[in-house]
Amino acid sequence: MTTTTEAVTAPARRRPRVRAIEGQELALIAVVGALWVVLSIVTDTFLTTGNLQNILFTVAPIALIGIGMTAVIVTAGIDVSVGSQAAVVMVIVALLARDAGLPFLPTVAVAVVIGLVLGAINGLLVAFGGIHPIIVTFGTLNIYRFVALQIFGNEQVAGVPATLAPIGGGAEGRILGVPTAWWITLVLAAAMWCYMRYWATGRHLYAVGGDPFAARLAGVRVRRRQISAYVLTGACVGLAACILIGSGGLVQQNVGTGLELRVIAAVVIGGTSIIGGRGTVLGTLLGALLVGTVSSAVTLLSWPSELTQLFIGLFILVAVGVDLLRERRRSAR
Amino acid sequence: MTEIETVPPAERTRGEGIAARVLRIALTERIVLLAVLLVVVVVWFRVLGAGGYLVAPYDLRYLGNALESMVPFALLAIAELFVIVSGRGGIDLSVGAIVSLAGMVFGFMVGVWEWPLLPSIVGCIVVGALLGAVNGALVAYLRFPALIATLATYYAYSSLALISNANAPISTPPVVALHSLTRNIQLPLLPPIPTHVFTIMIPCVVLAWVVVSRSTYGRALYAVGTNDVAAEYATQPVARTRFTAFVISGLLSGVVAVVTVAQFASARPDAGIVGNGMALPAITVAVLGGVAIQGGIGRVGGVVVAALLITWLNAGMLLAFPEGAEGSRYQLLALGLVLVLSALLNTFALRRYGRLA
Repeated sequence: MTTTTEAVTAPARRRPRVRAIEGQELALIAVVGALWVVLSIVTDTFLTTGNLQNILFTVAPIALIGIGMTAVIVTAGIDVSVGSQAAVVMVIVALLARDAGLPFLPTVAVAVVIGLVLGAINGLLVAFGGIHPIIVTFGTLNIYRFVALQIFGNEQVAGVPATLAPIGGGAEGRILGVPTAWWITLVLAAAMWCYMRYWATGRHLYAVGGDPFAARLAGVRVRRRQISAYVLTGACVGLAACILIGSGGLVQQNVGTGLELRVIAAVVIGGTSIIGGRGTVLGTLLGALLVGTVSSAVTLLSWPSELTQLFIGLFILVAVGVDLLRERRRSAR
Repeated sequence: MTEIETVPPAERTRGEGIAARVLRIALTERIVLLAVLLVVVVVWFRVLGAGGYLVAPYDLRYLGNALESMVPFALLAIAELFVIVSGRGGIDLSVGAIVSLAGMVFGFMVGVWEWPLLPSIVGCIVVGALLGAVNGALVAYLRFPALIATLATYYAYSSLALISNANAPISTPPVVALHSLTRNIQLPLLPPIPTHVFTIMIPCVVLAWVVVSRSTYGRALYAVGTNDVAAEYATQPVARTRFTAFVISGLLSGVVAVVTVAQFASARPDAGIVGNGMALPAITVAVLGGVAIQGGIGRVGGVVVAALLITWLNAGMLLAFPEGAEGSRYQLLALGLVLVLSALLNTFALRRYGRLA
């Protein structure tokens, strides 16, 4: 008899309350908002169009790669090779733009395709190699860096033309006063947000991260979802590399070093669980914005720029700590 | 996500041929495979040298000198061994940042406050252990994922190291004098070898081996790393064991800080974080040495031989690719390939034989 009553009550109880904006994201909005208010009172340079455009432009590549990285981390993976991927894409694109004189759209297309390939290598190794993602991507971090340096061939690429200026940081890289790079990021983030929320395969990403065995038994193509997450990250890196080249000039050999840590920091501050199965693109966007605001604030207050890293470290600890507390309360209930 | 086959090894090894047995031993006894690879690398570079492809002889004197760069490799890889073996996704990304920060503190103690040498060394190691204890507290007691906790402390420590002396190195005369700690010594029957290989690396390695393989703590470490729920029921102090692993990792990073400062004759704020930093090579060497990233598996011997292999491979490549930064570029390639291939090998051995040495 008990089974029938459970069957009746179960659906009502089991339906999860999925809110459009979660508590952590509200808190982040509050923190970023508070920071902006304080900064615009304390300094007279913060709330200027130039500074805000600058923040949005520098945050765009991190947020953009963060879109893919969110998917990767939601599947309980991680990709620490994005910095080296960006280096490979940037050196190839810079050389193509300078020496072959490639126009804007083909350049972007080439960048995205290279990113796709690099991401696919990671994805295949993770899905079929049976290797922990951090080991795979630590390995490809080195290998991709080697590839980039080999193409550089002992010298930096100077005199890159302004082919990519339409998405660069200059005046022509803005629409309605907002950097085009930021518009691209917003559109892609919105698309990804809908995909991960409403599409079946998008929901499967969470299933893979929650429990791959259970997901497979439930009919999820685990390997395909894993590969797709890394491929998406690669494509995002390709786009971000174009933004980083921007209005051209110099591409140095050390481009992209440490980029992976900044992206992972943004994703984690945005409330995505590193264990997998939880996280949203909106949070990542806010996390990136917070990191960008802090580094801008440190510069404007003329504190030593190394202090930014200390703040990023503390923000990570606070964000994850709060998340752990909520998790504990949820499981205690 | 394939399941590991559960056929008992004894049944699978029955009736196998000599070739199959050699393959099995090479794959499951990691130290045998590494020893073979080590011989291959040395012979290969000797052959290249004899053929005139190297810019300098790849002889005993050169190999002895190269041991200098093995010390940080080996010690930090053993630090990673403790943390990774402790399980639950254990990993320490902050070792390089600890080397930087503890090294700066060491620089201040020796070069600015002019403490005597011995208290300074002890002080530096204690600072390392304290920084490791912060990681340990976050991971073991507050239950942060190790990757995130050490990523955050990596940021925090490297920031503090850079700020401590306004981004400038400390190289006052007392610090420069430390360089004598790392000069070569001549022992009978051996080529000149850097002193700190004998005074620092070998004692640390032996001590680590004793702790891991011959102490109660070592048993607890493997138990916790293999299955912490089971260890809990077997009355092992799970949180404290994991905490101690991070403290040991910080402590070894403190030792490396002393070595690095002495080697450069200068306390550099970016010593452990410049480029890809020190954590990445350390993790690579640990995995190559047979430490399984899932925890509970790994031996000190394997890690030390892996460190030696990488050191001599790198040294050989510097001779084979002398032009500009070409040598260090190929070192990146080798490090990456070796990491991925050794991890693939681990998976393969685990699937085929159901175990791993």
